[in-house]
Formats: sequence, C-alpha cells, structure tokens
Amino acid sequence: MSADPDELLMDLIDRIAQRDEAALKALYDLTARKLYGLSLRVLGSAEAAEDALQEAYLQVWRSAGDYRATLSPPMAWLGLIVRSRSLDLLRRRAADRAHLTQELDEVLADTLPGDAPNPMDTSLASQQAWAMHQCLGQLENKQREVISLAYLRDLSHGELAERLALPLGTVKTWIRRGLDKLRDCMARFA
Amino acid sequence: MQLHRHPELLQRLAAAHALGTLRGGARRRFEAIAREQPAVRAAAIEWQTRVASLNELQAGAEPGPQVWTRIQNLVRADAEGAALAKQRQEAAVAPATGWWHSLALWRGAGLAGLCAVALALALLPALRGELDRRGAEVAALQRQLLATPDVRYVSVLNDDQARPAVLITFDPKHNRLSLQRVGGYQEAADRSLQLWALPPGAAPRSLGVLTPERLLQLAASESAVREVPALAISLEPLGGVPSERGPTGPVLFHGPLIHKQI
Repeated sequence: MSADPDELLMDLIDRIAQRDEAALKALYDLTARKLYGLSLRVLGSAEAAEDALQEAYLQVWRSAGDYRATLSPPMAWLGLIVRSRSLDLLRRRAADRAHLTQELDEVLADTLPGDAPNPMDTSLASQQAWAMHQCLGQLENKQREVISLAYLRDLSHGELAERLALPLGTVKTWIRRGLDKLRDCMARFA
Repeated sequence: MQLHRHPELLQRLAAAHALGTLRGGARRRFEAIAREQPAVRAAAIEWQTRVASLNELQAGAEPGPQVWTRIQNLVRADAEGAALAKQRQEAAVAPATGWWHSLALWRGAGLAGLCAVALALALLPALRGELDRRGAEVAALQRQLLATPDVRYVSVLNDDQARPAVLITFDPKHNRLSLQRVGGYQEAADRSLQLWALPPGAAPRSLGVLTPERLLQLAASESAVREVPALAISLEPLGGVPSERGPTGPVLFHGPLIHKQI
C-alpha cells in the first residue's frame, strides 16, 4: 500500500468511474472487511450484511464519478454508502418480518453490558475519524455504545430505551453527556 | 432566533441533529434555521462529519467469498446492459441522421429513377445516374450483411411442463449470446436467473447472469458453448453464484443446444 491510503483509494475510485473493473476489485479487497463490519453492526445478520455490502459496491460502481464533488475522504464516502444501503435493508426486513426486531434487540442487549475497552478499529480511517476515535475513548462505555447505536441503526431516544430496556431519561442523559464530552474533546482537534 | 449567539445550545442541537436523535418538529425547525443562517449550517455539517466517523470505526469482519462474485456478475450485467442500450440507441438514431437513410433523399431518388426510366429512350445519359444508384445500393446491402448476427448455435429452454421459456442464440462473429424470454416467468427482485453450460462429464459452467429484461445479451466466447450439448437456467440469489460452485437454486429451464449447420 502507498504511504497515503487516501490517495490510493481516491485513485481507485477515479478508475472505477472510468469503468475499470480491476480497480473495483482492488477497492473491494482493501475495504470490504472494514465495510462489512459496519454493515454487520447495522444489520446484525451475516446474510443481510452481505446483501447490503453487495448493493453498496454496486452503488460505488455506478456513482464513482460523483465522488470527487463530495469533498469527503474516501472511507467517509464509502462508509456513508454502506450505512445507507444497510439501513434501507434494515427497514425492508423490519417491514417484512416483525420478529426481526426481537432478534435485533438481543444483539443490542449483548453489546451494552460489556466492559471491554474501546473495540474500535482505526485502520484506513480518515483524520477526522481518528480524532473522533480519540474522543470516543474518553467516554464511558455505555455512553459510547448508545451514541453508536443511535447513529448506526438510526434509532430515536424512545426506540433505544425500549430496545435496551432502559428508562427514557437514562438514555437521554447518557447521550447528552456523551455528546457534550465529544464536543469539548473535538474542539481541541479543530 | 439567533441560534449562533448561543454556542452551547447550537452545538447540542447540531450534535443531536447529526446523530438522528433530534426528531419531529424540533428537527424541522433546526433545519429551517440552518438553511437561513450559515453559522448554524456550518455547525450542522461539522457534526454530520464527526458523527459519520462512527461508520469508519467499526471492527472489521470477513464477508463470504461469494459476495465479490455477485458484485462482479452484477457489474458485468450492468456493462452489458449499457452496451446494448447504446447499440439500440445508435441503431435508432442512425436512420434519422445518416443521409443514406434519409427518406426524403430516397423519395427524391426514387422519383428520379422513375423519370430516368421514362426518359431512358430519349435521354441516354440519365441511365448512368440510375446505374450509380444501383451500385450504391449493393454496397449498402453488403454492409448490412456484415452487421447481421451470424447465428451458429440455437437453443430453446423449456420449463418442467415442456413449455418454451427462453430462446437463446449464439453469434461467434460477435461473441454474443442473445436471449429472449418467451414465457411469462419473472424472477423476484431479490433473485437472479443464471445461465449454465452443461458439458458432458463435467460440472456446469456459468455463462452469465440474466438481467430482468425480456431481451438481453451476454458476452461469451465460442469455446464456452462448443461441444456443449445442453443449457440450463437456475434461480439464484441476486447477482448469481460463483461458476465453480455450480447452481445452488432450482433449475427452472433447460434444453438442448444445437450447432446450426444450415
């Protein structure tokens, strides 16, 4: 890999915009592991996460020409695409099968109590993400988890409280305190 | 409200907006203010970028190897579809723009031809023009012949009730399989039909994944269909499955592949 992974990824995205299938394969080899992890976190099922990943790379193939105009670091752009396709699938599946929310709740409940240190992975991450990683590390686990889940699964305070079996006030407080800490910490990186 | 004069509140709202926990009327009001006040808009975008970093910080995991195969199949089907659409467009546009296909021109030329015949006896030099026109017509027919597909292999795939479902021809001149769906079968949006060559004494080989259109083409070399006595179509997950795995879903249609010698 070149010294600057962003340069490498941007070069691949440019080539994909020129309909270069080998470049798509190279991008996939570099990023699929990372992005599949994201999709898996959103969907909680390997099968669904693979479907979302497939749709995401197809979207990359079709819209690579629009990438430069977004001014985003490459992994940030790819991450947004994968989250968006994963959430689409999550909503479709939830509509198809009501029992799915229950499966999800079990996955959610599992993610909270752990006292493990910050499991986040910064390989390939943009500078912004690296700074965010540093600041998230200063949060209590429960604050970090509730904030992550709210964003990744697009859940409201009420939905989070219901699924995590926590009082609504508790969820709101964790999120507000977590965001306040992030604000103070991120201001130092600005 | 001059929200940018209250930095702490602005930061809180922008953060909750980016996270998605600011909902309903509060969200709409914040967005309305952001559209009007650049400082609020800047704070909203800054927080969107921060929060989106969460996408990049999740622990990685290994997707199954079939995911790339499906992506590759879909990308190739996409490219084939684009090539086909371009071809159709060119075919549709050509008559309108090419002087050779101009109706007015030919009406004129036809009229000129009639006049030439009428005047032939009286006016011999006019015959030469008519001869030139014939020569040009022969050249056009030759060009047309070159562009015409050279169908060397034909197959009709039937369903299990022996009703025809798909007509397939192979053109070695253009390395192209052309498929026409003739039955009413339409796969679900999350499934793909996949075409297989069934060589004798060997595992099925994928010839490609069908897009949902009634008429479609797949790229294939003659070696992929030569000596292959039969073809089949199976129902697979969207994007199909790797060739080396063979069909995983039910075989819906199958039929003999005939090497045409007439």
